[in-house]
Amino acid sequence: MTSSPKGLSDFVAEATEILDALNRDLSILDQRRGEPLDPGLVNGIFRSSHSLKGLAAMFGEQRIAQLAHHTEDLLDRLRLGRLDLTDPVVDALLESFDAFQVVLRETERQEHSPDATQRAQAVCRKLAQFSETAAAPPRDDALDRLDLDASVRGVLTEYEEHRLLENLREGLAIWKVRAVFDLANFDQGLGRLNSKLKSMGEILSTLPSADPGDGTGIAFDIIFGSRTAAEKLKSALAGISASLHPLLLSPEREAAAPGGAATLAVAPLPSRARPGSSVSPPRPAVESRLATRKDPPAEAESSERLLTQTVRVDIGRLDSLMDAVGELLLIKANVARLADQASQSGKPAFGKLWGRELHRESRLLERKLDDLQKGILEVRMVPLGQVFDKLARTVRRIARESGKEVDFVMHGGEVEVDKLIVEALSDPLMHLVRNAVDHGVEGPEERRLLGKKPRGQVSVRATQRGNQVVIEVSDDGRGLDEDRIREVAVRTGIVAAEHAAELSERELQNLIFLPGFSTASRVSEVSGRGVGLDVVKTNVSRLSGLIDTQSERNQGASFTITLPETLAIVRALVVSVSGRVYAVPLNAVSEITSIAESDVKTVEKREVIGLRGKTIPLARLARVFQLPEKARMRHFMLVVGLAHRRLGIAVDELLGQQDVVVKPLGGRLRHTVGVAGATDLGDRKPVLVLDPGAIIEEVVNPERRPELV
Amino acid sequence: MAAFADILKQFFYAPDEDIGELFKLPAQAGQMTVFQPEESAAEYLAFVLEQESYAVPIAQIREIVRAVPLTEIPRSPKNLLGVIKIRGEILPVYDVKVKLKLRERAPIVVGLEGEAEELPGSARILIVRDLEGDIGILVDRVLEVIRLRPSEIEPLAPGIGGGDYLLGLGHLGKDLFIVLDVHKALS
Repeated sequence: MTSSPKGLSDFVAEATEILDALNRDLSILDQRRGEPLDPGLVNGIFRSSHSLKGLAAMFGEQRIAQLAHHTEDLLDRLRLGRLDLTDPVVDALLESFDAFQVVLRETERQEHSPDATQRAQAVCRKLAQFSETAAAPPRDDALDRLDLDASVRGVLTEYEEHRLLENLREGLAIWKVRAVFDLANFDQGLGRLNSKLKSMGEILSTLPSADPGDGTGIAFDIIFGSRTAAEKLKSALAGISASLHPLLLSPEREAAAPGGAATLAVAPLPSRARPGSSVSPPRPAVESRLATRKDPPAEAESSERLLTQTVRVDIGRLDSLMDAVGELLLIKANVARLADQASQSGKPAFGKLWGRELHRESRLLERKLDDLQKGILEVRMVPLGQVFDKLARTVRRIARESGKEVDFVMHGGEVEVDKLIVEALSDPLMHLVRNAVDHGVEGPEERRLLGKKPRGQVSVRATQRGNQVVIEVSDDGRGLDEDRIREVAVRTGIVAAEHAAELSERELQNLIFLPGFSTASRVSEVSGRGVGLDVVKTNVSRLSGLIDTQSERNQGASFTITLPETLAIVRALVVSVSGRVYAVPLNAVSEITSIAESDVKTVEKREVIGLRGKTIPLARLARVFQLPEKARMRHFMLVVGLAHRRLGIAVDELLGQQDVVVKPLGGRLRHTVGVAGATDLGDRKPVLVLDPGAIIEEVVNPERRPELV
Repeated sequence: MAAFADILKQFFYAPDEDIGELFKLPAQAGQMTVFQPEESAAEYLAFVLEQESYAVPIAQIREIVRAVPLTEIPRSPKNLLGVIKIRGEILPVYDVKVKLKLRERAPIVVGLEGEAEELPGSARILIVRDLEGDIGILVDRVLEVIRLRPSEIEPLAPGIGGGDYLLGLGHLGKDLFIVLDVHKALS
């Protein structure tokens, strides 16, 4: 690679962004196979590949440039109607996307393997095949008959002409919309007009008008094709300084244009953007029907995601950060003034007023720093939808490969979480979804026999609960096979035979997360579940999250991941045990109470405690961590965990609350159990941050206790 | 916070500067040994563990820091003394004395008063570069940087030393330095 690392990372970040958009559009295209082609969509994909080509060429990344060139070529023919969108075409496009991913990943690592190169070349050849079969469409004279200014006609691109012709063929009315905007903010006005028009038809071309109307504005001619009746168009455009002119087709064959529509002057208004008018509605739940066909299986899974270190930020968020900084500077000036006063007078007499003022400034400072912190956290937030889009493709591909019919439903893609979490979630989610399709959902025949509808369903739902995000991956397949789990658990020695019979359903189901469980059992043995679920669990735990499963025989299984919204800064409870100080993420603590030694009871030698009529297990942190323990009459108890899996953790003292930045232990210490990382409380030594999830695991399921090093 | 950081900075030994000083000595010493170009001397950092002098190749040492208070990791291996924070990085600190048979048990250096041993003021933590993430080693005292030519390192005779973590004995005048493979001593 000739590019510098800095340039390289820019390239990778930008290319990844384009690929994400490309993937999204391709997914939509794929889902709508068989439906009439959405020209806007195809054009969008065409543009994406075009930008990618330019970008890659600029950075000397020949393989990507080549690929993009071929993709662009194909799409160009597609949008010009010289090629039909057949299944092989869609598949080839999807393949090209995968090849992009592979090559880009190599570029990121500054590698250049022959494998990837061959793959890229193979895809290029495949794409090129389609160009040979394409024939030019017959020329139509409809364009000549359209009442279109020769000057306008002359500047239309080939694509625009093609779309115009298509619209005419379909018998749509063609309009010229003349709009005049203020020079200062024409982009807003134009954007508003475009979005209005798009909802009613297709914008074929936007041209700056030859005659500008009055002196202060800028005029556009928008060529627009639509089925919408003239009156409706007129009323829709009310409030926008635009006028409608029908473009008539001379009546040689048939007159398609609406008759009698004279120039409709729409009340011109100053083109101020109306608040709220351009706000897009919240993203609705996407439901995609997935076609299942026996296509050649695509190899490599697309969890080959790219981890980019850049975040795309809404400018509004940056603005508010900037504001916060501005106010901080103001406070700094005030504090400096106060400091001046103090050093100049040196008299204790004016102490009181001065002190009060200083106090006010310090409170202001605190508040502003708070704002700043919140702002920074917001900047790190990205919607989960980024991952969900990728899941949709995985589901579709695996369904196709395994000959199943699966609907994929996603909800809550708009829920935002920390960028780091989104990146780290990609693999575990991919894994769960793949399992659900591959092993959870039955084939259509089997489903019919069971009296289920032949199409299975896999859904991913994200919901925000306080400062936690809950993601549920569920299917309506066969569910977990408890008998098999029990059998495998006993055979591999994870659970003693006599103990196995006593395990509750829930305990059994959760055994599948154990390391070694999957490797010991063949994939299909436990109705296929348990494939690397320990890895999923490790990944989730690393994000201080919890994973849980619930399954009903023949009704389906669901996996619930509960995560903190952000990793970067957590509010922590500072506690002490045997003289040691620990921080506990507050989002994991549901309740704090004080308990007396005499309240502690035991069940089978394990300590429990009553909490408002419910009995929950109790763990003394000092014992869990094997610290020297001193007898105490009272303890503080932190209740951690969710509904059915709660645990009381007894500590000696509560020292307070604090926002902390958690640093992972990393390196040789990354396997430390029960500790999520370390932080700095302004003390000289680091303070460990507990991982309540791991402690729950350990105490509630002692048979799963990880071996101590 | 900022003021606090300044105090800390003044209070603590500035490791980067210190090792710079050490580097100057051997640099001059090296100029006197131009007569044997076929044998180039390598630099070692010499330090003391329980009155014995040890040496490790200086290239393996990232920095030397004062033995700041450590935080213990619950249920960790015995030779892990705890973690320290250096410029925002959390690093584990290990004991090598037990491995080198200098002590029966690793010292307990963290915990409440009475539970832990107090470290001598001369105690330092050597930060050693390691692929798995840099690590600290607690030593009693840092001596100096020495230059040893391969011929000055005597292989271990049978009956001396007990493990592949000892590379040999370095001789410099009358002084004896035990040359240590840090990574092996830690495993």
